[in-house]
Parts: sequence; structure tokens; C-alpha cells
Amino acid sequence: MRGADMENQDISKDRYMNPYLAGIGLGLTLLVSFLVLGAGLGASSGLARIAACTELCIAEAHTLSSEYFGKWGRTPMQYYLVFMLAGTFIGGLCSALLANRMKLQIERGRRSSVRLRSAFALIGGILVGFASRLAQGCTSGQALSGTALLLTGSFVFLICIFVGGYATAQLFRRQWND
Amino acid sequence: MIDTMYQLGTLDSAKAFLASLLIGIAFGFFLERAGFGSSRKLTGVFYFKDMAVIKVMFTAVITAALGLTCCVVLGVVSVEGVYLMPTVYGAYIVGGLIFGVGFVMSGWCPGTATAGVASGKIDALIFLAGAIVGSAIFNEMFGLIKPLYESGQRGVVFVYDTLGIGKGTFNVLLSVAAVVMFWGCEWIERRKTGRSLGANNTILKTLSVAVLAMAVVLVAVGSALPSSQQPGATAGLISSESQLLEAVEMAQDHIEPEELADMMLRQEPGLVVVDVRPVVEYMHYHLPNALNIQIKDVHQALLPYKNIGTIVLYSNGMTHPVQARDSLYRSGYMNAYILTDGLNGFIEKCLTPVSLRDEILPKETADKIRSWRAFFLGLSTPQERPDAIDEPQSGNLLVDAEWLERQLDRGETKILDLRAQPEYNTSHIRISLALNVENLRMNLDGVGSMLQPGEMLARHLSAMGIRPDDNIVIVYGDKTHDATLVGIALERLGHTSYKILNGGFSAWKSANKAVVSELPEITSSSYAVSGTDNFSVDYRTVLEYVRSRKGLILDVRPADYYNGSKSDEARAGHIPGAINRPYTEDLVKVNEVPQFKPIEELANAYAKIVPSKDSTVVVHCRTGHQASQTFFVLKRLLGYGNVLWYDAGWSQWAARKELPVE
Repeated sequence: MRGADMENQDISKDRYMNPYLAGIGLGLTLLVSFLVLGAGLGASSGLARIAACTELCIAEAHTLSSEYFGKWGRTPMQYYLVFMLAGTFIGGLCSALLANRMKLQIERGRRSSVRLRSAFALIGGILVGFASRLAQGCTSGQALSGTALLLTGSFVFLICIFVGGYATAQLFRRQWND
Repeated sequence: MIDTMYQLGTLDSAKAFLASLLIGIAFGFFLERAGFGSSRKLTGVFYFKDMAVIKVMFTAVITAALGLTCCVVLGVVSVEGVYLMPTVYGAYIVGGLIFGVGFVMSGWCPGTATAGVASGKIDALIFLAGAIVGSAIFNEMFGLIKPLYESGQRGVVFVYDTLGIGKGTFNVLLSVAAVVMFWGCEWIERRKTGRSLGANNTILKTLSVAVLAMAVVLVAVGSALPSSQQPGATAGLISSESQLLEAVEMAQDHIEPEELADMMLRQEPGLVVVDVRPVVEYMHYHLPNALNIQIKDVHQALLPYKNIGTIVLYSNGMTHPVQARDSLYRSGYMNAYILTDGLNGFIEKCLTPVSLRDEILPKETADKIRSWRAFFLGLSTPQERPDAIDEPQSGNLLVDAEWLERQLDRGETKILDLRAQPEYNTSHIRISLALNVENLRMNLDGVGSMLQPGEMLARHLSAMGIRPDDNIVIVYGDKTHDATLVGIALERLGHTSYKILNGGFSAWKSANKAVVSELPEITSSSYAVSGTDNFSVDYRTVLEYVRSRKGLILDVRPADYYNGSKSDEARAGHIPGAINRPYTEDLVKVNEVPQFKPIEELANAYAKIVPSKDSTVVVHCRTGHQASQTFFVLKRLLGYGNVLWYDAGWSQWAARKELPVE
């Protein structure tokens, strides 16, 4: 199968950029962000802003009077991290197109069902969205940017991500069964 | 040195949005390049199949960390120029664990999923939808989660301080750890997949050497400088702690209230007044144009004013500003001062009306005080009124007929008679003026019978010839809460020199004091308008207190309205968590006319209900009328410090269906 070949290649062969070079690229991007914006990278805030915007469309008064989203007012999308999220999409798109990696698919193991993989993606997404708000950031804002700033909280967050991940990894392994 | 957008406060500008977009593009590009547009590759790290996550992430962290340290050492940017997230242990631990589970379950995190969607992964789109839902759930549950969200707050903490080692040492340790981890990852991958390092090897070797060398160089450079964080500005200044103590000794670190008042009055250029109190107190009252900066943020926030102009720090007292100033001084701020005796001292020295002062002041000083009062109180923006002027003067706020009789010929006393017009016109106390309390209320924002805004109240007072320095005595007919409603109207204008004839007109009659039927002559005045008050709250504020459970909500309606068995409004019941203390409990009837119970009795009763004199208490009834009485009892008679008045009360709460009811 063509798809299977591709997936094998993903893991076994370096079709991707050398991880250390990609890491240096990311690190320099982060550094530029520190120097120009005075703030690190971020992704989950953009999603939260979209959530606030959606809630505003559905129940305006309720959202404005809510304690968390309410403080963002009527225009939650006018926030720099919303633009960064849009940029992340554009950058990802450019790279995928250049590398000819653009392919519509639900990525999963060959013996795993679309339904299982989708359910895991959705529930995992809810957990991640929630946890990002609780910890005031995600892998981008806390684990990457915060640790680069040598902040204690960000290190704690990063360690806990791996603890939580490794502790439960086997529960979700079957979605990758080939 | 670069001024970052965060530092300049321009993160909400179009320029920042464009910069963010471009930085985002680079971010997304490298994420996808690294293979992070594939959930399978990302989760590989949890099954020891593909360690790219760790390799990329730690390379990025170490690059940015060492790069930033370089920039700081070279003076390109200051650490204060970058937004530093506070550490919140509880929230971050729980958040990290949940995040980890969600991450391994979905195979995505927000940034990588965005790159994933860009490369056509439908599961990434599902994940993002989930994350948006998760954010909304967080918002909806925020009331419940807030204690966790705030648990273990430590402010901005650096990991090397937590570990108790130097920054340079930590950088070296981090670099060594990263290099060890990189080689470890390669070893794991080779064992699991049999894949050799190949071209990676050269790159990895170079990277390892470069990272370690860089860390060591930074340590060497860092120790050569007096302060690795701010090499330029501080050399020599920090050197002597004794200089600081000397300045303290000579009180050079203080600025007197009168001096500050004059500086502010003449709008001294370069003057930066900083209020370090909590936001809530700042919102109640602050000096005009004062910045509200929390102690922990002063370093970062005051950077633009470092050694430029004059920084004056104030709080209610002096402890916090002193600590902040000392800390600033150590960081090289030579222009930070503290306000002697804080805001309390300022109000006492500069803003207490001449008429309320014990000592007799020379005319010059009195004029000065008037000009300060006009500037700091008269021209201040709405919602600004000083607390301390409201000092409770309990005890003599309730007066008797004998006392009132003695005041009749003193020019500065005005009497307001609140009885119905025919009763007033047949017989009233000499010099008293008729006032119908309903004239002080109006429909505001759709809520009937709201107390009028300050401008309108001031117009009533002007028409009655009342001046801000007048002592007002309120004489009620059969409702004590009529008197307190007038009282709260006066409070809205900052006019706290009022008293109530306990027992009302009936007390005057039964003391056989003289009455007249002639109407008094009035010369209208022009009562200065000064915005609104600091004690009226709307339903949003009440809702916050309901959610945070940090304030006591006192429902003063009769018990059957509180428990919902009777209702005149859209919904029956009460605000969740509210405690019922009917206003009538504070009264006793004498000759069929209500008057206030003895103060000791009231004090005992409220001591059982309200935890402390500093507790925040929100009083409300149906329309604000009866609650004005409880407000008066708590704030004026008993001296409770934080009493708030929800004027719109149950009539609004019941009608707004989105608000919770118990």
C-alpha cells in the first residue's frame, strides 16, 4: 500500500528536516519573538480567543458577564496570539506544500478505526484546551517559551506533561496499531 | 537596547499583529519541517519509537535560552522587557498532568495541530475543535476552578532561584542535560528501530560542542560583570547598601503629602505616581493619573521611568511602598520615593475639609486645602472618592431634639424634613426644608427608582441652597430608611457631614420644641458635582461576589420575600448565598414611630453576622431604599469598612433571567 509506505518512511527515513536543525530554527524563531514582541510563542490562547468569540455569538450577555472570557470584552480576537495562530497555519501550509506532504487524511494505525482515532482526538483536544487555560499556556507558551525563560512554573508544567503522558500512553496505544 | 512591544505596551497594535503573524509563520514552518504536522510522529516519543519531540524541543529551548542570555549580557534587551509568566504550582501541576493525558490521547497539542491541519490532517482539526470546546468549558466552570487556578501562586520565579544555584551554573547544567538527552534519544532510537545516526551524527556533535562551549562562555562573561542582568545601568549604583541606608536615614526617600499635592496640582513634568494597592482599592479611589502597579510588577512596569523624572509610590500605609522602593533602589532606581504616611496621611493632611479640623488654620493654609480638595476631589473622574473622608463618626450621627435645637441658629446647619408636603406646610422646625425622597430617584438603565447620578443630586442640593461644608440634619416622618436614602444620596456626593434626628419629627414634637408654618428663605447655591461614589455596585459586581464567595451578601428584605413565599418581582427567592437580616430588625418603635436601636445592640447583632469590620458586605433589598438603612447602620453607625450598596437590588436581579437565584 502506498499509504503504509509513506507512514513507514515517516518514521524510518529522514524525509523531515534534521531535528536538531529544526530545533535551532524554532529556537531562533522564539528568540526573535522575545526580542520583538517581548513575549514568547503561543497557540492555545488563540484557540481560547476563538472559543470566547464563538460563545459571544451564541450568548453575548452571558459571555460578557462571565469571569474569565468576560474580561476580554467584545473583541476577543483582537489579540496578538490570534494572529500568531493564523501565522502558524500559514507557515505549516507553506512547509507542507513545499515538501509535498499535503494529504487529506485521518492519521492512524492501519488496524485502528476512524471512529476510535476521532474520539481520542476530540476528547484529548477537550482535555488539552481545558488544561491550557488552567496552566495559562500550552506546549508553546509554557513548555517551550517558559522553559527558555528558565521559569520554574514552566519546568514544572513540562515535567507534568511527560508524567501524565507516559503514565497513560499504553491506554491509547491501540489507535496506532498497524 | 531594544524596547520590546511588551515593554512599550504596544502588543495590541497593528504592528504587533503583523509581527505576530510573521513569527507565527516561522513557527508553523519549522513545526511542520520537524515533522510535527504528524500526530503519529509526535506520539512516537511516548512509545520510544521516535524521539524527535525531545530533540527538537530541547534544541529550541537551549537555543532560545542561551540566545536570550547572550542578548541580555550584550545589553541588546533587558530581562524586564520580556513578559515573564508567574508560577502557580497547583494549577500548573494539575494542568500539566491533564495536558499530558490529552496530548498522548490525541497525539496533538495546539501549535502542532495547527501545523497538522495545514498539512491535511483531519484528526488535527477534530483536536482543535475539542480544544476550543475545552477552553469554553474552562470558562463556564471558572467559578469552581478558580481556587485551583490560583493555588500555589509564587509570582515570577526563576528555576535557578528555586534550585538555589546561579543562573550561569544552571545554564551549564541545562546544556549538559540537553546534550545527554540528545545522545540518549539517539541511543533509544537505535535500539528500537535499528536506525543509525547517519548524517545526524555530525550535526549532533557540532551542536553538542557548541551548546556546552556557549554555556561555559556565558558563565565566564557573567561572572566578569558586576550584575549579569543589567550590566550598563547599575554598575556602581548597587555597590553600596550603605548609600541606601544613608538615604533612608536622612529621609531622602520620602515625599511629604503637601509636597506631592502641590506637585500634582501644578502638573509637575516627569512625575509618576504609582498606587501599589490591590486593584479593587485602586478602583475605589486613587490619586488622579496614578498608575496601579502591583508590588511584584514594579520592576518590570517602571522600567520606562528608571532614573527619569520622579516616581512616587504610595499605598494606604507605608510598609509595601517602602519595600518596593528599597528593592527598586537596589536595582539602580535613584528616583523612587515613598509618600509619607501613605494615602491615609495624604487624605488627612491635604483633603480633610477645613471645617472638620481640630486646629485653627491660617487663611493661607485653609485656601490651599480648598484648592487641593477642588483638584483631588472635585475634578477627579467618576468613581473616585476617597475612603478616608468617610471616616465613621458613629455615636453622634443620631441626634436628639435638644441637640438639634441648639443648632438652629448656626449658619452651617441645614435641616431636611422628609414628611409629606401637607404635614410640613402645617408645622415644621424653623429653617427646615421640605424634601420628598422620591425626587432623588429615577429610572436608570430600565430599573425604576434608582438613586440619581451625582449631577442631578447636586442640582437638588443647589436649589435648596446647601453647600458642601454644611452640616445637614435629616428629619424623617415615619420611615427611618427615608432618612438613610437621603443620607446615601449625600454620600454619593461625598457629603458625609450629615446626621439623623433619631425618632424623626415625632421626637421633636414629643420634646415640645417650637414649630413654625412659615416657609424659609433660600438663596440657591451651586453645589459642585463630583461624579459618582465608591460604594454603589451593579449586578456584575454582585455576581462576582456570588461566584468568588469572597463577600457577604446581605438581603435586608422581610423574611418571607427572602425565602420566596412572597414575591412582587419577576422571580421569587434570593441571591445565592445571601444572608437575610431584615432592616426592621435594626429598629425599635417609640410612639409608633421607628427609630434606631441602641448602637451596642446593633454592634452585637452584626458581629454575629459579619466576620470582621473589613469584610466586604453587599447590602440590597428590592429597590435600594431599605438597604440604604442597613448601609447607614453598618458603615456609619458601626464603622464597617467595606460596605457596598446594590441599589437596583432584587427588582433587577429577579428580572435578569441569566442571574442565578436560590
